[in-house]
Amino acid sequence: MSDHLDVSALDADQRAALHRFLVSLADSKRILGIRYSDWLLGAPSIETGIATSSMAQDEWGHARLLYSMLKELDVDPVEVEHDRGDEDYASVDPLDEPFGDWAAVIAGMVVVDGALATLLESFSRGRFEPATMRVPKMLDEEAFHWSLASAWFRRLATSSSASARGKLSDATRAMLPPVLAWLGAEDEADDRLVELGVLEPAADRVRAFRDRVRDILAQGGIDVDEAEPSDGWDAARRRGPGHPGHEATERARGDRNRMLFVE
Amino acid sequence: MREIVYDVFARKDRGDSLAHIGYIDALDVETAKVYAWTTYDEQNWFEMCVVPRSAIIPVNRTDGPFARSGGEAGAATGGAS
Repeated sequence: MSDHLDVSALDADQRAALHRFLVSLADSKRILGIRYSDWLLGAPSIETGIATSSMAQDEWGHARLLYSMLKELDVDPVEVEHDRGDEDYASVDPLDEPFGDWAAVIAGMVVVDGALATLLESFSRGRFEPATMRVPKMLDEEAFHWSLASAWFRRLATSSSASARGKLSDATRAMLPPVLAWLGAEDEADDRLVELGVLEPAADRVRAFRDRVRDILAQGGIDVDEAEPSDGWDAARRRGPGHPGHEATERARGDRNRMLFVE
Repeated sequence: MREIVYDVFARKDRGDSLAHIGYIDALDVETAKVYAWTTYDEQNWFEMCVVPRSAIIPVNRTDGPFARSGGEAGAATGGAS
C-alpha cells in the first residue's frame, strides 16, 4: 500500500497549508529566474552569462512544474501564474529587489538558491506524490547551480579586491536572516505539513541548510551558525512583509504579452 | 584566479565516437563542467567530458591551438617534430 498522501482526504486547513507552500516555492523559483535573467548579458564572461541564462530557464521550468502541482488541490495554476497582484506574490524576501551587482548574484545563488534546493530536498522525501516524482529531476539540475555558485563564491571571497570581498559579504549577510526565517517557518500551516509527512521539521530543514553552506560561507569569513532568522512574518504568504517589485511581477505574470497567451 | 581553456568532448549516443565539440574558458574544473554543459546544450548528450587544453599532447603538428596551449603538450612535442 502506498504511503503517499491522500490529497482528497485533507481538510480545509491542510489544503490551505499545502497550497501556501506550493505557491511559496513556485513564486520563489519564478522571481529567482527573473533575477538571474537580468545577468544573461553583463556577467563576467560569456560562459558565465550562458550558464546564468540556463539557470534562469531551469528556474522557470521548476516554477511551472510547482504551479502545476496546484491541480492536485483543484486549483487552476494559470490563474495563480497570471492573475495575482504584486502584493500576493510569496517569493522569498531577498528576491524583492534585483541583484545589484555580480557579488549579489553569487550570494543569491548560494543563499537563496541553496535554501530552495534544501527545501525541495525535504519536500521530495515527503509524502506528496507529485513532489517525489518531479522534484528529483529539479535537484539534478540544481547541482549545476551549486557548482557554479560555490566556485564563484570562492573566487570572490579570496579575491585581492577588498571591494569584491566586501560586496559579497554584505549581500550574503543581508540575505541570511530572511532566508533562515523562510526555511524554518514554524507557524501552524507548516506544522500541519510536518504532521502530514509532507515536509521535515523546521529544525531539520534549517540544519540541512546550515550544513550545505557552512564551509562555502566560511571562505568569506561568514559563520552561518551565528546568523539568526529575521523578525516579521506574513503567515498568509509564508514570508516576511513586503513583496517583489512591479518590474518583476509584471514579467512573472506576462502582463505585456497577455493577448498572446497560449495555454 | 585566472581562467584556463578546457576542450569539450561529447557523444550523442552510447555507441558514437567521442567528438571534439568546442572549448570554454573556466575558473576551475567545477565551473568548466557547468560552462560546457550549458554552452553546448544543442544536443541531449549521452556523455560529455572536459579536458584542460594543457593536458592535450599534439602528435603530428607544432602549430594550431593545441600546440600553442603553453602547457606540457608543447614541451612534449617540441623536440620530436
